[in-house]
Amino acid sequence: MRILTLSVMALLLSVSWLHASDVERRLEAVFLGRFANYIEWPATAKSSFVITLIDENPFGTLLEAIYKDKLIHGKPIEIRYVTRVRDIGKTDLLFITLDTTAARQEAIEYAQKNSILTICESKGFAERGGVIQLNFVGQKTQIKINHDAAVKSGIKIGAPLLSIATVIRGGKS
Amino acid sequence: MRYLFLMLLLASMTATAQASEEKAVKETNELYGRSLDELVHIETQAKADVGSRGGSRDALVAEVPIDVITAEQLESSGYTELGKVLSKLVPGFNIPRPSITDGTDHAPPFTLRGLNPDQVLVLINGKRQHQGSLLNMNGTIGRGSSGVDINAIPLRSIERVEVLRDGAAAQYGSDAIAGIINIILKGYGHKSSLTGTYGATFRGDGQMRQGDTFLSIALPEDGFVNLTAEARDRGATNRAGADARDNYRVNTHFGDADTQDYLFAVNAALPRGDTTFYLHGTLDRRLSSAGAFYRLKGDSRNIPQIYPDGFLPKIEPKLMDFSLSTGAKGILDSGVTWDLSYTLGYNEFQFYVNNSLNRSLGLATPTSFNSGSTTYLQQIINLDLAKKIGSHTIAGGLEYRRENYRIGSGDVASYTLGSFSDWAAGAQGFGGFMPENKVNVKRDNVAVYLDGKFGLLSWMNLDAAVRYENFSDFGSTVDGKLALRIRPTEDLLLRASASSGFRAPSLTQSNFTSTAMVRNGESIDRYGTFSVDHPVARALGATDLKPEKSWHATAGVVYQPLSNFSMSADYFFTYIGDRIMPTGYIAGWNLENLSPQAAAILKQSGVDGAVYFTNAISTRTHGFDLRMDYKHTFDSSSAIKLAGAYNRSMTKVAKVNTAPTILGVDMTSLVLDPNTRVTIENGQPVDSFKLWTKYESKLFDLVLNLNRFGGYSSTMGNDRVDFSALWTVDAEVTWHIMKHVNIAIGGENLLDAMPDTWGPTSDSITGKNKIVQYSQYSPIGYNGAYYYARLGIRF
Repeated sequence: MRILTLSVMALLLSVSWLHASDVERRLEAVFLGRFANYIEWPATAKSSFVITLIDENPFGTLLEAIYKDKLIHGKPIEIRYVTRVRDIGKTDLLFITLDTTAARQEAIEYAQKNSILTICESKGFAERGGVIQLNFVGQKTQIKINHDAAVKSGIKIGAPLLSIATVIRGGKS
Repeated sequence: MRYLFLMLLLASMTATAQASEEKAVKETNELYGRSLDELVHIETQAKADVGSRGGSRDALVAEVPIDVITAEQLESSGYTELGKVLSKLVPGFNIPRPSITDGTDHAPPFTLRGLNPDQVLVLINGKRQHQGSLLNMNGTIGRGSSGVDINAIPLRSIERVEVLRDGAAAQYGSDAIAGIINIILKGYGHKSSLTGTYGATFRGDGQMRQGDTFLSIALPEDGFVNLTAEARDRGATNRAGADARDNYRVNTHFGDADTQDYLFAVNAALPRGDTTFYLHGTLDRRLSSAGAFYRLKGDSRNIPQIYPDGFLPKIEPKLMDFSLSTGAKGILDSGVTWDLSYTLGYNEFQFYVNNSLNRSLGLATPTSFNSGSTTYLQQIINLDLAKKIGSHTIAGGLEYRRENYRIGSGDVASYTLGSFSDWAAGAQGFGGFMPENKVNVKRDNVAVYLDGKFGLLSWMNLDAAVRYENFSDFGSTVDGKLALRIRPTEDLLLRASASSGFRAPSLTQSNFTSTAMVRNGESIDRYGTFSVDHPVARALGATDLKPEKSWHATAGVVYQPLSNFSMSADYFFTYIGDRIMPTGYIAGWNLENLSPQAAAILKQSGVDGAVYFTNAISTRTHGFDLRMDYKHTFDSSSAIKLAGAYNRSMTKVAKVNTAPTILGVDMTSLVLDPNTRVTIENGQPVDSFKLWTKYESKLFDLVLNLNRFGGYSSTMGNDRVDFSALWTVDAEVTWHIMKHVNIAIGGENLLDAMPDTWGPTSDSITGKNKIVQYSQYSPIGYNGAYYYARLGIRF
């Protein structure tokens, strides 16, 4: 009896629940890949397209589940999770959930030096040099793109993506 | 056999979990195939801040039941007063339209779940909104209480209204008994707009003209200053019947007051790194006019030389209501979030009476009076701290609150008893506050609270909260709350909560004093309402008021088989002990068994009769809420949304306290006359149903509301009178004539449903085809159909 109870408890504790029933998270998960399809990076020899999440992972196992059989720019997708900027390494897209401005700024600076597309929900992210700021206002998606930051990072953003976003150019939106 | 059952259970749960995961992935993959334009038009789930200090979370799957009313819902109504709009969208939200009830005509109180107006806590952006200074003392729903003037908040400034359907005094302090209404003002990312609305009732009165603007100014780092200004001119409605005593002339006003409101709101945020400075507030200046009962030409209160045909006294108060919260919030490097704020709230009623007279002054009487004022001021300093530790969030805080309540006296002529009458003192319609009624009282309270959200397992959360408060007038309280959320699968959620709560006696209840004069031979006696510490009240057994204590329990289930379809059912139970109520009129002629000692006290004090507030009864309220939401997007430009909700709330008197022995009567005789009992138990609709439907497309939107307001009761004399449930239909069509311009036409109560009349009575004023034909308690008022047109421009 005790063995059975413990095994049930162990199983329940180990179940990796997918915390993505909310539409916001699903949309965010989808936007990562969809945005990437409209962006051109400097050519590299990497065999996979790397999406890195820094700090918390709000998606559970959703990203692995939806990107396991997809391609971005013809490459299979690899999902990485890090907690420190120095662990980011070579990546194409960085989804930032860091809490403080200083930590996000460090990540932005690293990304700009390494041609990485940055995406974050924090207010003021795009104005501070992040590339894509993703917000939900009144239950609708709002996208803000810092075109200057993208240029500085050496990445090009396609017109279809720019057309649905508020774009910061020359420091003005 | 037992092992087999457990194994089957285990297998079943595992399979369900896998199915949920597969469904989530399938739905997300379906989204992946859509165009970017379609994706940005998908509506996400409603979020709510209320009930948690850990930030916004999904309202549907919160640990306690929360309804979210969106700006889209609020703004698709012909009404522009928040109270009326919420009564069409929130089941259990009741705002009758009282008339001929002195100040209450001008700031109608609202209730949740059939409880009192002061048993609901209202927040703006999470900060406590102040109560009004008006103590409702006439025969209305909410008699003996002071509520928040919710119509003082401009509708166009609101992003959403969160309605927490649970007691939460352990988190927010006093008043959060029937629930909490948290009004979130429009913040970052909203477009500016201009709106003009015109409407009138089917009978041609109640013309409403409103112009409003919402202006959003962007600041650096996604800061903003949002300004809302509204000017509303609402004409009176009149459903008074003909007066048989006055040649069947309609001489009385019974309907909505004639009001002009000038409303303003500000919501601003200025981020500076990890710190955001913020400020938000509302202001309403209201000029209002309504009538008292008509004084016939032969009435002993009239002076025919001044009013040969009699007169209708006009009660025309000027109201001021404003609130302001300012502070800073942010996050420290340690991950601790903080919020330090100061909140100021102020409400003022300045009573003016026109087209009246003071009969006792004879021909020297003025016809216009300043009858005095009531004001309420609230100041709060609050510090909130929270830290996320793994899957847990620990929060806590400190709060200091100071309240100040004042009554200012009116002109001498508004209250004095002159030599031309032995009893008709003061201004007819609304006698002024006398100098002896002046009040200036303060109260302080401090609160310390802890609030923890514990992720026990990936599918189980436990919330625990405790709050200690100390009030300078009655002492301390400690309240607690536990809420458990179990989510066995992505589709299914089970939740339950238990908590204790309280409501501090309001300063108005403890201190309201309003007396009038009557000649008794050579001397002049007083009569009216006395504060609990007044020597007359004390001699008659009044004591300091204790807080109302409450106990709550809820249990519910949420089922979301599809991301666009959800259902929920929640049961609730609320017990409120020591509810504070005004006594009946303590006088020998009114209370049959009044003790000789009490009669002697009245006589010795020169008091004809007295009323004071006391902790009188306990009540038990229980019921349930059902909710269903569905939305379907046809393509990038058209969608349909449905929100259906049903509430059933039943309140019964559970216990009657012991009356002061000096009076010689029991508490039932003292406070629970038949009208009071019926009002508490049956005066508000026992149930309500709302179905809000919207079809939207690029060319036009169509909104259709179906409402049921359950039956309610009142009394005629001592006899209970029941009024039928009401069904109403509202509809609105909006044409998007240009990208940023739209025109809407619509109707509230389109089919002109009217409440039951009183029926035949022997009363000269109230009854079918008499002056007052409808009950004050009607949840839809008695205006009938209302039609409107609206022009909106976004920029």
